Amino acid sequence: MIKSNTTFPTKFDAIVVGAGPAGAASAYVLSKKGFKVLLVDRSREAGSKELYGGRIYLGPLKEVWPDLDKKAPIHRWIKKERASIMGKDGRIITIEYNAGRRTSFTAYLPELVRWMVSKAEEEGTIFVDEVVVDELLTSDGKVVGIRSGPDEIRSDVVIDAEGVNRLLLEKLGLVSGPRPEELALGIKEVLKVRKNEINAQFNVDDDEGVAWILMGDITLGIPGGGFIYTFNETISIGIVIHMANAIRAAEAGAINHSFELVENLRLHPYFNKLWKSSDVIEYGAHLTIEDGLSFMPKRLVYPGLLIVGDAAGLILNTGYTVRGVDFAVYSGKLAAEAVEKALSEKEGATEENLKVYEDMVRKSFMYNELKRHRASKELMKDPEFFTKISRIPLKFFSELYEIDKEVPTAYEAFKNACRSEDSGPLSLMFKLWGMVKKL
Amino acid sequence: MKRLRIEELLQRNVWDVGKKPHIEINMDACGSCESKLCVKLCPAGCYTVVDGKVLFSYEGCLECGTCRTVCPQGAVKWSYPRSGKGVYYRFT
Amino acid sequence: MVRVVVGIKWVPNTQAVRFDPKTGTLMREGVPSIINPPDLSAVEFALKIKERYGGEAIAITMAPPSAVKGLEHVLGMGVDRAVLISDRAFAGADTLATSYVLAEAIKKISRDVGKVDLAVFGQETIDSSTAHIPAQTASWLRWPYVYYVTDLEIKDDKVVVSRVLEDRVEKYELELPSVISVFMESIEARDVRLLHKLRAKIEKPIVVWSNKELKLDPRCIGLKGSPTMVSKITWTLEVPRKKIVYKPKDPEDAARWLISMLLKDEKTSKIFKWVVGG
Repeated sequence: MIKSNTTFPTKFDAIVVGAGPAGAASAYVLSKKGFKVLLVDRSREAGSKELYGGRIYLGPLKEVWPDLDKKAPIHRWIKKERASIMGKDGRIITIEYNAGRRTSFTAYLPELVRWMVSKAEEEGTIFVDEVVVDELLTSDGKVVGIRSGPDEIRSDVVIDAEGVNRLLLEKLGLVSGPRPEELALGIKEVLKVRKNEINAQFNVDDDEGVAWILMGDITLGIPGGGFIYTFNETISIGIVIHMANAIRAAEAGAINHSFELVENLRLHPYFNKLWKSSDVIEYGAHLTIEDGLSFMPKRLVYPGLLIVGDAAGLILNTGYTVRGVDFAVYSGKLAAEAVEKALSEKEGATEENLKVYEDMVRKSFMYNELKRHRASKELMKDPEFFTKISRIPLKFFSELYEIDKEVPTAYEAFKNACRSEDSGPLSLMFKLWGMVKKL
Repeated sequence: MKRLRIEELLQRNVWDVGKKPHIEINMDACGSCESKLCVKLCPAGCYTVVDGKVLFSYEGCLECGTCRTVCPQGAVKWSYPRSGKGVYYRFT
Repeated sequence: MVRVVVGIKWVPNTQAVRFDPKTGTLMREGVPSIINPPDLSAVEFALKIKERYGGEAIAITMAPPSAVKGLEHVLGMGVDRAVLISDRAFAGADTLATSYVLAEAIKKISRDVGKVDLAVFGQETIDSSTAHIPAQTASWLRWPYVYYVTDLEIKDDKVVVSRVLEDRVEKYELELPSVISVFMESIEARDVRLLHKLRAKIEKPIVVWSNKELKLDPRCIGLKGSPTMVSKITWTLEVPRKKIVYKPKDPEDAARWLISMLLKDEKTSKIFKWVVGG
C-alpha cells in the first residue's frame, strides 16, 4: 500500500478528467502557463477510446498548436465536398464542390489525440491513463478533486472533459440522464484500401481528401445521415441516426439492428465500387449530440469546476457541416485561460472568478454558431424533411432525365414531382423556403 | 462483397476484455420490458433475445452509451471498463 | 520481509493478430502489445505475497522500450519498481537465451538491491505457450522450481507451495530462494489504482538495463544464443458455432445431453471415444 506520507505530490492546481481533444487542449494550455496539471483518462493508451466521423477544422486548433498542420499526424486535406440525396430505388443526386483552400483535414482521432496528449506531457502535464474517475469530490458546495476507487486527489479546480456520457456530472446532479431527443448514434467502419486506389477512385492527389455526406434512404428515412471520409490508406464510412427517431423506428419495426445500416452503406451498389478490394479493419460506435444548446448544462461553471467539449454540448451539426473536435479544443483553451485568471485572484477558483469561462464561451464563435444554426436542429430531427422533401428532387430529376420519347419541361417535371408527394408547386415552394431559412 | 455479421465486424477490432462486466442489468426491470430497444439499437449487438428474455454480454461492448440512453426501464447500470480494458480503437 | 521478482512478457495482443492464409504470415500491423495475460496473475500473486509478508515486489521484463507501458500498468497495480532489460543485442532470443538473461538480471537485482527470495512467473505466454521460461530461469539460477502454484506459505528460509493438478493438490517444501509459476486461472489480477499509477508517472521507478549493465557473453544472448528454429507457421480453420442452446434440468442432465450431442457428431464422437477410452 502507498503510505500517507508519500513523497510525490497529490495536490494539483488543476485536474482534467478525460483526455480527448478538449481535455488534452486544456491540460496543454494550463501546463504551458506553468500550472501543475493532472490529466486522467480511462483508455489503455491516450486516444484509444476516441471515435468520430472523420473531419476536423483547422482554424481553432491552430490557436492552441500553431504548428499542428505541420507536425500532427494529418492524413488528407479536404479538397472535395460531396453531398448525396438517396432514394429507395437507386436514384441518387450527388453534388460536388471542389474547394479552393485548405480549411479542414482527416486524421485518425486516436493518433491525433495521442499527439495532443504528448504535447501536454512535454509541457509538464502528468498524464495518468487506465484509470476511471468515479466521482468529483465536493466540500462545502465546491468541487475539490476526484475519486477513483479508494484513491482521492485534490486540486484547486477540476475541468470536466468526460465527453458525451456525463456520468460524473449526472452523479453530482448538475445534468439529467441522457435524453434521446438530444442525442444521436454514430456507427462507423474503417475500410482498408490502397492509397493509389483511393486517389484514382476519388480523383484526388496523395494529400487531398473527400468529405461526403449522405441523406435520405441510407438511414431508412430515420433523421440523420451517412458519411464517407478518405484517409491515407483507409476510407471511413458510417451513419448517424437521431436517437429519438431511431427509437420510434425500432418500435415501429422499421429497423432490426442498427449495425445493419453501415453494412448497407458498405454494400450499396452506388458506393461499393469505390472500395471494391477493401477489407474492414475496424468497427465502432459513439454517441454524438444532435442539439448542443439543449444538451448544454445550465451553467458551464460551478465552484471549482468547469465543463468543456462534448460534456458542455459544444458540437455543431447543421446537416452539411459537423464540428466537434475543433469546438472541443477551443473550449479547452478557453477553460484554461479562465483558470489562469481565476487562480491569479486572491479567492482562487470561486464560481465568481471562473465565470469568465462562461462569458468567453457565450461570446465565442462556437456559441454564435450553435445559436445561428439552432433552427436547422428542428429540421435535422424532422422525419418529413428526411423522407418527403428529399424525394421531391429525386422525382424531379427522374422525370427530367429518365425519358422514353418526350422530354418534359422543367416546370412539368417539377409539377409532377410535387404531385407525387401530394403537394402543389406553390405550397411546396413555401414549405421549402421555410425549411431553407432554417438551414 | 459479402455482408458481415456483427460478430465478424467486432472481430476486426483490438480488444482486451476484462474479467468483470462493466455494465450491470437489473433483470427484474428488464424482464418486464416490451419494446426491447437495446436489442435493436445497440451497435455491438450485445443484447440478444433468447426464449423471450434479453441476454446481455459485455465482451463486445463499444462503450458508446446507447443502451443507457434508450432503455425505457432504466435497467442499465452503466460504467466504463477499468484498468484500460475494453475496446482499443486505432483508425477511428 | 520477502523480495519477490515477477517476470512479465510484453506480447502482441494475439486476439488482434490476423493470419494471412495467402502468404502464411501474421498480420501484426497496428496491433498494440499487451502484458501476457497469465503474467497478470503472477503479478497479483507477487503482490499478495508482499502484502502478507511485507517486503517488495519488483517486475522485470526483456522487451523493446515500448514495454514501459506494460511496466507502468503493473506499477499501477502496486508493484514497487521495475526493470526493463532492453538492448538490440538481446533481440531475436529464444527461450534459452531469454531465460539466461532473466536469470542474470535476477542475480544482478540480488547484488544491487538485495537478496531475491522468490521469482514468480505466469504459467505460459499467449504468443508461444512454451512454458519454458520459469523452468529454464530456475535451471540457470540453480533454484528449485514448481509450476501450477496456487498458494504458498513462507516459514523461515523455506516455502511450502500448493500446486494443482487435474485431480489433486500437491504440497512441496522448497528452500528459498526458489522459482514458481502461477496457475493461470487461479487468481484474478487487481485493477490499476490512481495513486499507484500517479506514483509510476511521477517517480518513474523503472530502470533500463542494456548489456552494458549486464555484461553477458554476446554468444549466449539474442539471436546468436538461440538454437531454436521456427520452420513453419500454419493455422487451423475456424470451426463455426452450431448455436444450439439446451436448458438442462440439473448438471447431470446437462452432462448427459452434452455427451449425446458429442456422440452424434462424427468428428467429436471419435475424439470423445479416444479420450474416454473406447
